[in-house]
Amino acid sequence: MSEPGFFADVWSYLTTADNWTGSLGIRTLFVEHVWMSLLAIGIAFAIAFPVALAIGHRRKAEFLVVSISNAGRAIPSLAILAFLVPFSIRLGLGIGFWPTMVALVALAIPPLVTNTYIGIQEVDPDIVEAARGMGMTERRVLWGIEVPLAVPLIVAGLRIAMLTVIATATLAALVGWGGLGRLIVDGFAVQNRPKIFAGALLVASLAIGVDLLLGWAGRRLSPRTSGDLSERQAKANAAAAVG
Amino acid sequence: MRRLFRSHVLGAALVALALVAAACDGSGGDGNGNGSLTIGAVGFAENQILGEMYAQALEAAGYDVERQLNLDSREIVQPAIESGEVDIAPEYLATLAVFLGGDGGTDPAEVHAQLEELLADRGQTVLEFSSAVDTNAFVVTEDTASEHDLSAVSDLEGIAGELTLGGPPECPEREFCIPGLEEVYGVEFADFVPLDVGGPLTVEALAGGEIDVGLLFSTDGAIEANGFVVLEDDRQLQQADNIAPVVSTEALNDEIAGILNGISAALDTPTMTALNAQVTVDQEDPADVAAGFLEDSGLI
Amino acid sequence: MIERPLFEWDWVTRNLDVIWDKLGEHVWLTFLAVAIGLAIALPLGILAHRRKRLYPPIAGTAGVLYTIPSLALFAMLLPFTGLSTTTAEIGLVGYTQFILIRNIVTGLEGVPGDAKEAALGMGYTPWQLLWKVELPLAMPAIIAGVRIASVSTIGLVTVTTLIGKGGFGHILFQLGFRRFDNTPMIVGAVLSVGLAVAADALIVLAQRFLTPWARGRRTVGV
Repeated sequence: MSEPGFFADVWSYLTTADNWTGSLGIRTLFVEHVWMSLLAIGIAFAIAFPVALAIGHRRKAEFLVVSISNAGRAIPSLAILAFLVPFSIRLGLGIGFWPTMVALVALAIPPLVTNTYIGIQEVDPDIVEAARGMGMTERRVLWGIEVPLAVPLIVAGLRIAMLTVIATATLAALVGWGGLGRLIVDGFAVQNRPKIFAGALLVASLAIGVDLLLGWAGRRLSPRTSGDLSERQAKANAAAAVG
Repeated sequence: MRRLFRSHVLGAALVALALVAAACDGSGGDGNGNGSLTIGAVGFAENQILGEMYAQALEAAGYDVERQLNLDSREIVQPAIESGEVDIAPEYLATLAVFLGGDGGTDPAEVHAQLEELLADRGQTVLEFSSAVDTNAFVVTEDTASEHDLSAVSDLEGIAGELTLGGPPECPEREFCIPGLEEVYGVEFADFVPLDVGGPLTVEALAGGEIDVGLLFSTDGAIEANGFVVLEDDRQLQQADNIAPVVSTEALNDEIAGILNGISAALDTPTMTALNAQVTVDQEDPADVAAGFLEDSGLI
Repeated sequence: MIERPLFEWDWVTRNLDVIWDKLGEHVWLTFLAVAIGLAIALPLGILAHRRKRLYPPIAGTAGVLYTIPSLALFAMLLPFTGLSTTTAEIGLVGYTQFILIRNIVTGLEGVPGDAKEAALGMGYTPWQLLWKVELPLAMPAIIAGVRIASVSTIGLVTVTTLIGKGGFGHILFQLGFRRFDNTPMIVGAVLSVGLAVAADALIVLAQRFLTPWARGRRTVGV
């Protein structure tokens, strides 16, 4: 196989208008992949965030958090996808959307819970005590101090979860869903190697792009120095709450 | 100091082992030893049953056999035979002929001759064909059939634009699937959903209404078990897809040919269909089903 | 829909040879990946530690590899190295780098300055310093990295079923999912997880053996 020839074929695949149109076209698959990922993260976050806040704020149930996190890492995502399909069919929910959605949400929750929990938990207990001492309500302590200080870790958790979701969504093509993984799987079925490569390239680019974006966002949202700026911020919040 | 030493030695040993392993591993396991035959099959019930039949019959005759029965498609099997990774594969006359650039046809003897020629240049030999035929079948649920009054593929002409087809990912590239439907029947579906190769995913998608028309194989027991309706191929899109083993010429000898031909001779369409049903409907293992058949037919 | 039994022990007893075979494949692919991964990450990590300027590009490249979804990475290697163990291993080794390099560097950074000074004071060459002081003291972090990398790799091996390997992933996907057969799906999944748990425990034991002086957790978690 001649390398320059191969890459020319990949380029040609990506630039053929026909390949972008239709329900199996690059455009549709890309949009599908992104939408599904965002939706899954949104739902996972909506579930994980309050739970992690509750646990982190009260500093209990660490064992539970660690277990969920480890379980999430140990169970292969392909297994979760594979199991959900027949199950979904049995429930009359069909192939495609539902099994993929549930799998993505399930896999996104552990990193979100873990990072949010640790983020909240690692806030300097002295600051928290000081705030309580100044008469701040629990709710103010949580939202005014703990959460803002936990933001970098929460964003880091989002980053990990997002990558897990994008990767699993790619695998979902193996069990009957669509998304960019479709290009890889269908390309593989007919050994259309330029198509396989093009699909893989698109997936990789999406993942790397999202990762860079979230990395940048994380840096932007972090306090400049984790030291005095955050302490000042915390004291400011405390003062505002009381006076 | 002894403890540090211990960990150093262990660490170094592991790293060395890894490098050695990597160096040795290279090509190991992918090639074929002398005197062993590799049977390749695509990962759907019938092909796997046939693969197992060939394997077990050859083993009974004293051959050393390796099995690769979960391959994805012809696009993987064919190059594998050419590169020597696979020696024997169960095939279908017309579809393979067309795949290799031939014209195909509806007379099995003719297509067989055609295939012989096409394969000769590729260092492959097609053995005698069986009377068992397995073609693509376009299938709908009973409800769909009555709703749109469908009994033949040509009935789809007007309404295909509102329907979804589901089948193997290769469908858009197979003459006897999407391109053929357009050419021969003027049928263009609204959408195509890639599922699996005549497997449970397609069956369930059809049963669950996620697709309107499914591509299954004509010998699939799931068709009857689910009460599906096969649309008649009234304009003869499907051709002579008789089952025949394709063997790498290098690996072939008279004994092997005799054994495999014996299997093909003992098979017919109803038998193949019944065997398939044992796997897809009764959830039996292809190896067991194959063994049962070989014993019952006195081939083992 | 056709009713399928949830689990049949029968299947297990009939397929013990396949299970054994796939166990071997899974363990071998994992061991090879982590061992080679370590063989590559160690020099890279040491280099990144010694020349701080090299850390961003090294960690960055490893990070990019880690970000790429596994199916995509294997798919990109396919046209070049085919459906082989090599393809699987290049991908799997690639994925170990980020975790291993990060942990190695963190471990080396964590070596107390006075230990280094004392050694240099005694006349150690930089090489001896590395071998006799820095690496041993960095061991807990390195082993922690090996632990995470191993568990990760075990999970990733299942994806290699698409390129013809797969270990337990083969049982889960080819024998199970492709036929909607519950038993192999369960067996494949349970054994994958079981293997991960076993590997994790084994490495913890190894850690106690290799670094008995290390007390408390120095785990660098994700």
